[in-house]
Amino acid sequence: MSFSLPLVKMQALHKSYGDGAVQVLKGIDIEMKPGERVVVIGPSGGGKSTLLRVMMGLEQIDSGSISFDGKAYISSQGTGRKTAIDTEVRRSIGMVFQHYTLFPHLNVTQNLILAPCKVRGETKAKAETRAQTLLERFGLAAKAKAYPAQLSGGQKQRVAIARALMLDPKLMLFDEVTSALDPELVSEVEQVILQLASQNMPMMIVTHDMWFAKNIASRVIFCAGGIVVEDGPPEQVLGAPKEERTKEFIDRVFHIKQ
Amino acid sequence: MNYTFDFNAVSISPLLQGLWVSLELTAAANVIGVVLGFVLALLIMSNYRMIRLPFMLFVELFRCTPAIVQIVWIFYCVPMIFDVFLDPITMGVLALGLNLMAFNAEAYRAAIQAVPREQLDAGIALGLSPLQRILYIVFPTAFRASIPVLLTNGIVIFQQSALVAIVAIQDLMYQGKTLATETYRPIETFTVVALIYFAVSFPITQIVGLLERRRQLLSS
Repeated sequence: MSFSLPLVKMQALHKSYGDGAVQVLKGIDIEMKPGERVVVIGPSGGGKSTLLRVMMGLEQIDSGSISFDGKAYISSQGTGRKTAIDTEVRRSIGMVFQHYTLFPHLNVTQNLILAPCKVRGETKAKAETRAQTLLERFGLAAKAKAYPAQLSGGQKQRVAIARALMLDPKLMLFDEVTSALDPELVSEVEQVILQLASQNMPMMIVTHDMWFAKNIASRVIFCAGGIVVEDGPPEQVLGAPKEERTKEFIDRVFHIKQ
Repeated sequence: MNYTFDFNAVSISPLLQGLWVSLELTAAANVIGVVLGFVLALLIMSNYRMIRLPFMLFVELFRCTPAIVQIVWIFYCVPMIFDVFLDPITMGVLALGLNLMAFNAEAYRAAIQAVPREQLDAGIALGLSPLQRILYIVFPTAFRASIPVLLTNGIVIFQQSALVAIVAIQDLMYQGKTLATETYRPIETFTVVALIYFAVSFPITQIVGLLERRRQLLSS
C-alpha cells in the first residue's frame, strides 16, 4: 500500500491566536496514507490538539490547506480571512474529544442516532438497529437507555466513540480521549480504539499515554513549538529518536512513567 | 377598630371569571416569553453588532422601565403611532409577553453561555448544521437549566398582569375593583383577591424551590 494516494494531505498549515500574537502552528506539512494510525505526541501547547481541531474544521486557520481523499476541504487565503470548509467532505471524518461530549439530555441510543437521523435522514428504526449492534460490540448493550449522567467516564467515552462511528467515518480523530479518565478506566477505552485499529480504521490520535502510543501507532509524530520535529515509525520516535528535542521529551516522559 | 367583616358580600363568581382572564393573559405571555425569549437571547448574543445592539436596546428598555408604564404606553401609544387597533386582551398579551421576553432572554443568555463548548464541537464533528446545533443541543440544555428562572419570571408576570386592570381588561384585579365599588367592601374584596393570587403563585414558587434543591443535589 505504500504507493497509494495520501488520505490526508496538510500543506503549510499556519494558525495563530489573537491576531497573530501567539503562533500555534508554524507550517505543518503532513501526509497520511490510508490505513495509517498516526499518534501525535509532544509537550502541552505544542499544537497537537490544535492540529486535530483544525482538521475537524473547529478552528480557523491563517493559511494553508488540508485535503482529504484528494479533495481540498479546508483552506485559507490569509490571516483574518474566513477559513473555507467543505462540510460534505468533513463528514467523512469522526472525532472524539477529551470530555463533556455526550449530550446530557439524550440517552445513549438517542445520542447515537441524532446525527444519522438529522444529518443523513436515516429512519429512526434503521439507526436504532445499527446503534444496538455497535453498543453490543462495545459491551454497552445494557446501557442503551441510560443517560450520560448515569455512566462512568470510561463508558461515556466508549459511547462517544460509538456515536462517531454511526456516521461511518473514513478517518477517526482522537483528542486526548483518556486524559480526563480515572486510571482504572483508561484501558477499557483504549481497548475499543485498538479494536478499531485491528479493523484498519485510519486514525490520528493525540495522547500522553506512551504505552498506548507504542501499542497502536503505525507512525509517530513529535510536535513541539508548532512544527513537526520528528516523524517516523514508533520504534524510531519512541525508542531511538534522532532529534535532540524528541529525545529530551521521551526521556522525561518515560522517566516519570517508571 | 369597630369594623365588622362581611365576606358574604364578596361574590366569588366574577372574581373567578377575572382569574380566568388573568390566567389566559399569563399563559399567552409565557408562550411568547419562553419561545421568543430564546430567539431574542440568540439575537443579543449575535456576533454582528448590527443585529446585537438593537435587540440589546429592546431588552434594556423593558428591564429599565416600570411594567405599568410599558402597559400604558403600549395601550395608548402603539395604536396611535402604528395605526393598529387590537382588542384589549391581545394588547395585554403583547405588553406582558414583550416584557417577559426581555427577562427570559437574559435567563436564557446565561444558560446558553453555560453550555460547554465541547458540546458544540461534538455537534460540529457530527455534521450538525448551525440550526440543528441550536435546536438539538443548545436549546434543550439551556431550556432545562433555565426552568427555575423561567417559572419564577412566569409567576412574576401573573402578578404583573394585575396592572392591566388600569386599561380596563377584565382580569382578576379589575373584577375585584368593580366588586369593591359595588359592595363598599374593599377590605374583604381585596383580601380575597390577594388570597387568589397567592393560591395560584405559591405552589409554583414551591416547585421552583424543589427544582433548585434537586439541581444542587445533582451537581454536588
